[in-house]
Amino acid sequence: MRKLSLAAAILAATALHAPAYADGHLQIVEGDPLELTIQMNHARYPVYKEDWPVEQQAREWTNIHLVDVTVGANMTSDSENTGRTEALNLMLASGNIPDIVGSSRIKDFVNQYGPEGAFMPLNDLIEEHAPNLKAFFDEKPHIRSALTAADGNMYYIPYLPDGKYGRAYWIRTDWLDKLGLDVPETVDEYEAVLRAFKTQDPNGNGEADEVPFFARQWPEFIRLVTLWDGRSSGSDTYHDFMVVDGELQHPYAGEGYRDGISNLARWYAEGLVDTEVFTRGSSARDFLLSENLGGSTHDWFASTSGYNRLSSEIDGFAFKAFAPPASVSGKRIEEHRRIPIKPDGWAIGGFNKHPVETIKYFDFWFTEEGRRLANFGVEGMHYDMVDGKAIFKQEFLDAGPVNRSLYQVGSQLQGRGYFQDYNYEIQWSNEFALEGIALYDEGDYLIDQFLGVAFNPEEQKVYDKYWGSVRDYMLERQQAWILGSADVMAEWDDYQAQLEKLGLSQVLEVMQSAYNRQYSN
Amino acid sequence: MAGVSLSKIVKRFGAIEVVHGIDLDVAEQEFVVLVGPSGCGKSTTLRMVAGLEEISDGELTIDGRYMNRVAPKDRDVAMVFQNYALYPHLNVAENMAFGLRIRRVPNAEIKQIIADTAEILGLTNYLDRRPADLSGGQRQRVAMGRAIVRHPKVFLFDEPLSNLDAKLRTQMRAEIKRLHKRLGATSIYVTHDQVEAMTLADRIVVMNDGSIEQIGTPMELFNNPVNTFVAGFLGSPPMNQITGKVTETGAQVGDTVIQLDRDLGGLAGRDVVVGIRPEHVSLQPGEGTTPLPISLDLVEPLGSEALLHARFGDDNLVFKTDTNGQIEHLSGIDTVHVPASLVTLFDAESGRTLRAGG
Amino acid sequence: MAPRNTRWTRAVDHLKREWQIYLMLLPTIVWFIVFLYKPMYGLQIAFKDYSIFRGVANSPWVGLEHFETLFSNDQFFRAVYNTIQISALNLLFGFPAPIILALMFNEILHATYKKTAQTIVYLPHFISSVIIAGIVITAFSPTAGIVNTLLGWLGIDPIYFLTKPEWFRPIFVGTGIWQEAGFGSIVFLAAIAGVNPSLYESAVVDGANRWQMMWRITIPCILPTILIMLIIRIGNIMEVSFELVILLYQPATYSTADVVNTWVYRQGLQSGQYDLAAAAGLFNAVVAFVLVMAANSLSRRFSRTSLW
Repeated sequence: MRKLSLAAAILAATALHAPAYADGHLQIVEGDPLELTIQMNHARYPVYKEDWPVEQQAREWTNIHLVDVTVGANMTSDSENTGRTEALNLMLASGNIPDIVGSSRIKDFVNQYGPEGAFMPLNDLIEEHAPNLKAFFDEKPHIRSALTAADGNMYYIPYLPDGKYGRAYWIRTDWLDKLGLDVPETVDEYEAVLRAFKTQDPNGNGEADEVPFFARQWPEFIRLVTLWDGRSSGSDTYHDFMVVDGELQHPYAGEGYRDGISNLARWYAEGLVDTEVFTRGSSARDFLLSENLGGSTHDWFASTSGYNRLSSEIDGFAFKAFAPPASVSGKRIEEHRRIPIKPDGWAIGGFNKHPVETIKYFDFWFTEEGRRLANFGVEGMHYDMVDGKAIFKQEFLDAGPVNRSLYQVGSQLQGRGYFQDYNYEIQWSNEFALEGIALYDEGDYLIDQFLGVAFNPEEQKVYDKYWGSVRDYMLERQQAWILGSADVMAEWDDYQAQLEKLGLSQVLEVMQSAYNRQYSN
Repeated sequence: MAGVSLSKIVKRFGAIEVVHGIDLDVAEQEFVVLVGPSGCGKSTTLRMVAGLEEISDGELTIDGRYMNRVAPKDRDVAMVFQNYALYPHLNVAENMAFGLRIRRVPNAEIKQIIADTAEILGLTNYLDRRPADLSGGQRQRVAMGRAIVRHPKVFLFDEPLSNLDAKLRTQMRAEIKRLHKRLGATSIYVTHDQVEAMTLADRIVVMNDGSIEQIGTPMELFNNPVNTFVAGFLGSPPMNQITGKVTETGAQVGDTVIQLDRDLGGLAGRDVVVGIRPEHVSLQPGEGTTPLPISLDLVEPLGSEALLHARFGDDNLVFKTDTNGQIEHLSGIDTVHVPASLVTLFDAESGRTLRAGG
Repeated sequence: MAPRNTRWTRAVDHLKREWQIYLMLLPTIVWFIVFLYKPMYGLQIAFKDYSIFRGVANSPWVGLEHFETLFSNDQFFRAVYNTIQISALNLLFGFPAPIILALMFNEILHATYKKTAQTIVYLPHFISSVIIAGIVITAFSPTAGIVNTLLGWLGIDPIYFLTKPEWFRPIFVGTGIWQEAGFGSIVFLAAIAGVNPSLYESAVVDGANRWQMMWRITIPCILPTILIMLIIRIGNIMEVSFELVILLYQPATYSTADVVNTWVYRQGLQSGQYDLAAAAGLFNAVVAFVLVMAANSLSRRFSRTSLW
């Protein structure tokens, strides 16, 4: 066996084609293939396809065949963190739980129904049968903690994003040049730049129609409270809790937030922010940039850098990332980052007759070959090995958006538990994105993220009872303050009292107890 | 002088002319009945008088005033509709008061008029009821009451009795006649029922296919129809019409020559239609009668009278005879006797009545 | 033996004779059972700690806990208040709109003009709520919207309508009228077409003008239809067009825009609290039931028109 593996490794380094692995060291069952049923759902690929090349390759290597029994579809992506899992609910209501269930937003779902018996606890299975998974979790205990449900068990294998950076500050550097301004280094400079955008007609059409700051998602505008040492969220989902020195807090109850909102309201009133920031929606970036109106935003590296192609239409157009401006106290913070663990992934159905084979199958995707398969597709078909690195074939990169192409061959599926390899993305990030990432790498702007807690039923009840009202009230006041219909400074004490009355402290209490249970060791 | 005068009245719907130049003078207080088969233009004519249809050509005067362009409400006419046109949401009193309220007659006056009219029509006890709670006859009375309260110069009736059953119809017919006598208003009445026409009219206007066939008192029309159409339309059962030929001595039908009391000298050899009213024949020979051999199909007893359905050659004939309470003797009849003076002759080609010497 | 047997034979005979009619009835009965009566079984989850995995039958009873949660929540009451307020405005302005529209159509004599006008006002009904919301957001936009452009001509500063709580109800109700008044007028047009034409002729002869005919004939004659539609409308008072609210509201306008269904959506369905949602649904149904009963008996007493 050992010799064969060695032989395989030699072959892998030299051969161009997948059959190189035909030695069988990845094989999980012998003889006839083992069929396992699967439900897999994601808004980006509403149907699971057995004939995806990646799935075919996995079949060949593992001798485990996944059979699609998906019911329903999660057609809408859940960007607002609402926890919608229509297809999963439908599946559970139908009474049939497939051997494997993969989905976006699966975490709360398995944590709720796993203890009731709908899904299998994975701890012992991993311990005994999944050496790669075990090694991964041993290396990253905080991930193991984040995955653990209230009963101490782990019910799903997550999709684990790689890379650090998500969003960044962006600005029209050509406008800066035109107005003779430097890239803003502090909040005051940033304000001055935005004001200059508004008043000095950088687009040169004679009208003050520039929109200095805009956002596709209005919470990105609220995120600017970090410039006054406030916080807007503790994780990569909006309005989330945060952990400060082991203590659960909500960002919307902090004083930095109050000061930030007060100043943002001033910005808004002055016209430094898109008047329609709350209703413009997802087309804001596309519209305002291509109309030569938008000046600055806070958005993703990869997709935003792509707008530099507009330089062919708008003379001198340059939209570049800049480092987070220093806050009033001099801190430079980029609040958003890629979270190391997503609530997406897959789980083993409670009635699965082959849990050992299934966990081995899950483990396969954490082997070197499996991880590459999940990240890059099939060797020889989608990528080639060059100097021990997977490099996408040029024709694959040229065939349209790479992410979409990968979904179409069954790769980078967030409904599958796998560890992403950031190299996959670097290969097709444009120069502006890479330049921006390099800029962010120079400073230490990122902050730790809250990875979520798993409630026990009693805690869940308290959370459900109070949190909705608290969140609604927070958002309601937030917009009222920004829009100028109320003054945050004048209202702050009443606001705090009302949050207390609505039950914020009860919510924090159950979050704290869940957090302590989950992350204490 | 509330007469109505129609002069060369024409009605066209698009390119189709449905009333072809009618002339008619209705005298004050006269009761004129327009009668004819469906589609003959009688209702259209009435609606032109009412102002519900525009007059395409010709001239209408009421009370001597030119009316073609006058709005219905200013013509001072009242109309009773076939389906009563009662407002379902209003009670009897309010229905009758509708036109008065529109004209802003003072309330007290309205009350008085309604009370009086209800008295005349026997509706006093029903004033609070809705139309849905009334019988057909009562509804008809309300419809008339609504016309009466207005004291119009002219009453227009558009087949007002055709939705009633036979018995009620007879009763209402009499009531209308009585009302007309009492109110003495000029009335134009449209019906397809010749019995109503005969019983109600001062004068009858027989219409066919958009034209007037004949105008006259009921008895004039009955006795001297100008053509086979009028002859066939009035009378119940209608006049028997047998094709024949004029001879030197009379009118030959089949092998029989019916004796006539007229001099037909100039007409000998002409093809004619011989008209014999069912009730004019007798079963016994008399002076100046001609025996007509028939084969009896059926005897229909009506009580005091009986109808004899018989065949003569290819023609089906109907005769009416008294029974004197018995019909057994009728079954053997094979001959009827036609009185010479009561036979009408029509030109076979034109259908016009042939007068003696004409 | 005799009476029961004969009744039985009579029923069989009846069925043999009229089976086609019963066959035609069958799909409706099946529809009612499958889509209305069977789901009533699931209503019990309003009183249970429902888990999809355990199912309706096996979830434990919790009594009135979910109702206590509802009634102890200020935002729920605000949502109830907003629902009723929006529905009341809808009733006040949205209910007469199709009637007025139908009366106006009825007065148009030119056939082509009438048909064109009708088609134009029916159209919005067939547009999806998402598009409607897009149109509204654009029309009321403070920078490019037609409304603010018009206000600008009058010298009024732009208003960011969709973030102003005081503007939400007028905009929402107005949008509803724009979308549904045309289509809603069909039923009233049909009722008007059913009025005996000789009523109008009689009125013409009596001297009524068009205005008087509308008030004294058309409206009273279609009043039964109006009342039936009103009762049905009252029965739907708790059902505010939920998708459109979701698409148009903002946290800033929650105070006037948040209705029971959107509140339930945020509270319940988002975190899988089907039991709480069912409790709120049951509350809605009870309120609607009481209102319909009241409206129906009032209508029956005062106008002899009723749903049953």
